[in-house]
Amino acid sequence: MRPLDKPVCTRPAFGCEPHDDSPAGDGAELDEPTNGLGHGAIGAATRSQYTYRRMSQAEPIDGYTVPPGCRDELLDAGGAPLPHVASLIATLRRLGPAALQEAGQRRDTIFMRQGITFKVADSNGDRGDRAWPLDLIPRVLTGAEWTTIKRGLDQRIRALNAFVDDVYHAQEIVRAGIVPWSLIVSRRTFARPVHGIRAPGGVYCHVSGCDLVRDGEGRWRVLEDNVRTPSGISYVIENRLAMTRLMPELFAGHRIQAVDTYPSLLLDALRAVAPEADGPPTVVLWTPGPLNSAYYEHAFLARRMGVELVEASDLVVRDAVCYTRTTSGLQRVHAIYRRLDDDFIDPLEFRPDSLLGVPGLVRAYRAGTVAIANAIGTGVADDKAVYVYVPEMIRFYLGEQPILDNVPTYLLGDERQRKEVLRRLHELVVKPTSESGGKGVFIGPHACAADREAQARLVERHPERFIAQELVHLSTAPTEGGDGRLAPRHVDLRPFAVFGKEIRIVPGGLTRVALREGSMIVNSSQGGGSKDTWVLDDDAAADELTPRLPAFNHAPELPDVRYGGWHGQQQQQATAGAAR
Amino acid sequence: MLARIAQELFWLGRDLTRAEQTARMLDGAFHADVASAPRDRSIALSWDGVMAIIGAKPPVPGERKGAHTTAAAADGPLTIAARRGEVSRLLTLDLDSPASIVSCVERARERVRTLRDVISTEMWQALNSFYLTLGRYDLHSALQTGPYSVYHEVKERCALFWGLVERTMLRDEGRAFLEAGGRIEEADMVLRLLRVSVPPEPHPNEIDGDDEAFALLQAVGGFQAYWRAIRNAPTVGAVVRFLLYDAAYPCSVACSVDAVRSALASADPQPRSSPPVLRLGRLIADLELQRRTPGELGDLPRQLAAVQDELALVDQDIDERYFAIAALAALHL
Repeated sequence: MRPLDKPVCTRPAFGCEPHDDSPAGDGAELDEPTNGLGHGAIGAATRSQYTYRRMSQAEPIDGYTVPPGCRDELLDAGGAPLPHVASLIATLRRLGPAALQEAGQRRDTIFMRQGITFKVADSNGDRGDRAWPLDLIPRVLTGAEWTTIKRGLDQRIRALNAFVDDVYHAQEIVRAGIVPWSLIVSRRTFARPVHGIRAPGGVYCHVSGCDLVRDGEGRWRVLEDNVRTPSGISYVIENRLAMTRLMPELFAGHRIQAVDTYPSLLLDALRAVAPEADGPPTVVLWTPGPLNSAYYEHAFLARRMGVELVEASDLVVRDAVCYTRTTSGLQRVHAIYRRLDDDFIDPLEFRPDSLLGVPGLVRAYRAGTVAIANAIGTGVADDKAVYVYVPEMIRFYLGEQPILDNVPTYLLGDERQRKEVLRRLHELVVKPTSESGGKGVFIGPHACAADREAQARLVERHPERFIAQELVHLSTAPTEGGDGRLAPRHVDLRPFAVFGKEIRIVPGGLTRVALREGSMIVNSSQGGGSKDTWVLDDDAAADELTPRLPAFNHAPELPDVRYGGWHGQQQQQATAGAAR
Repeated sequence: MLARIAQELFWLGRDLTRAEQTARMLDGAFHADVASAPRDRSIALSWDGVMAIIGAKPPVPGERKGAHTTAAAADGPLTIAARRGEVSRLLTLDLDSPASIVSCVERARERVRTLRDVISTEMWQALNSFYLTLGRYDLHSALQTGPYSVYHEVKERCALFWGLVERTMLRDEGRAFLEAGGRIEEADMVLRLLRVSVPPEPHPNEIDGDDEAFALLQAVGGFQAYWRAIRNAPTVGAVVRFLLYDAAYPCSVACSVDAVRSALASADPQPRSSPPVLRLGRLIADLELQRRTPGELGDLPRQLAAVQDELALVDQDIDERYFAIAALAALHL
């Protein structure tokens, strides 16, 4: 039992003050602990095998052992670098621990200065700023690997989108007997007010970020779908920028696909779904406010898209049209990228006590005068009980075989499955279905008998509110431990997709890493960090030589002082002074 | 005021701005080099391009006396990393290169030493500590590991100096020459950057030039301003027009030229018959005309060259009108 690893996941990830009933799924979702917990099977004795060795080795990678049962992202089972990262590992060896340590200090200084921090609570419960924990060793995916992931996600998002459309219209998947209607309507995220409203272009899941993990066999699996307000993309972009500044040597000889296109992809998508306008459509980003844990990201995206960052008090609906309050009066808004949950957006239709909402927004949405991304009601597709059916959705709506598998998951509403789960409770992970932010996740191998008993009672009382999942042996990646040496740490991956006219996925995504040894909990509020994620551009051979450049014009020489007569005088003064 | 002092102030402004623009440019080139995967670039913000911007030839290792020999294999073509090292060293540390940041700052500081009575003490201290900081840095190893911090420091120190000018320097003739120098250099450097970066022939699929347009904006520090002003993904054409004509962006060529004109107009006792002021007035009108006429991307290189030639003539006019009289002293005339 290692109490440290127990997910006490009540705190949003980059967690500013968590208003406890945090209206945004946002930061909270990033906080999700990866439930993998593969090491449940690994006893304490074997764990010491990959204990990070403090020996006087000169090279950062020596003494690195991949934990049994896991894959490593950069090294093979024998500890040799995989072919596509050979030169990266060679550079790391050449740099040595001292350079890594020094870069780590520079990183913290730069992040503190740029204000890329998140709040953590110390043992007294005081909250202080900590530099965003970026690990200096990138995680590298080959182009081929990425193509598989990209195709898999594309397929999955199309299916989820079709599902949302279906749920609020014909319910064909229910008629076909695949997903029970009782399950759908009992989801807390099911949004009755939007029944029959078709989003512009039939796109509902404009922004999504699915959590992927690589299991012990090296297969990619989807751990969960986030189609409400996934966060983390700002950190992907900031991580890349910081890495180019901190460790430029590592990039030599690699062609890495760029990630900073996301804001323009998002802006294009939002414009594509906006209703017809006379001029260019007005897009705004709606944040719950500066106290939200993901506010940094909201401001980042607004800045990078060049759109206004608005709060509820800036928006107003008049006659089913949405406006912002500006210095020159009311100004029409065509598309809203909202970063708060359905429950809070319109007190007239959802929670009447919401102070963060805009009364009448759903009416405007229904009238088609404003596009909202993600569309209202998408939460039903990222519910954890619905997750079980996603492979079936892919077959039903698209007629395709799923490219990315689910983690084996059991619905506890089903009596047979429930019995089996309760019997194996010590090996499984149990999650509440409608929560996000890792609230209430139960991890069998880490729980004591009393906790197991309590969880079993919870499950028996409300079986439909829980699901159970098998453990996944999360892959590991070499991670710098603060003293310049590398040790294996578990990672997951959250790629970010944008769906406007078509689905575009930013190469790579956010790799979260559990910085504590053996831990599989990657939330940043619990000692999780992140890594820059590289997708290699395999088509372009990584040529070290100067590429042939197109001819360019030459500028004239720099101008210089034309009349500099008195410099002679100065010299004379100087020599005269010296002679005297 | 004394012609000699006026010229010193003018060149003080030029040197400091040159240091700042060089830092920004190298930062941008560095970013473009490391972060993007240029396959068909429509903009060449490469290391050789950076050398072309300051009108110098690309460095050949071993040719220069005392050249640092990171690029050991003199015969083979340089690797990008070696080229990066060579160029960034040359433009940052090299005291022989007039555009290198260190020599710009050193010259600026030498000038300020003779101007202590004209400028405020705070300005002198800011510049002097800038100079001392650069000396304290182990610039060479800082360049090896992360030049970002060096360039960041340069940008901040320059901004500090100009901020103190704004805050503490009397709005007199001296300040007008200081500002005229700073702004004419700014326009000149942006034009150089654009001339080298804009392709001689327009790129067929301009939309895909994002990466490079981004690097270009990065290189003048105008990325955020661009987004707020234009609100569209940067394309080469749009970025060039923004940097040339946009009156709201403080570092656009149009804006800088306008600032030079108003500075000189305030310093000149008879601005209406002053050749540089008149020439600048015509240039401003030309830029305005170009802005209002939709141009082809193909025309840009010619327009850029014309604007820069005109600026060179302005520079010459300034010399003739205000400073030449000081030079006569050297000839004992």
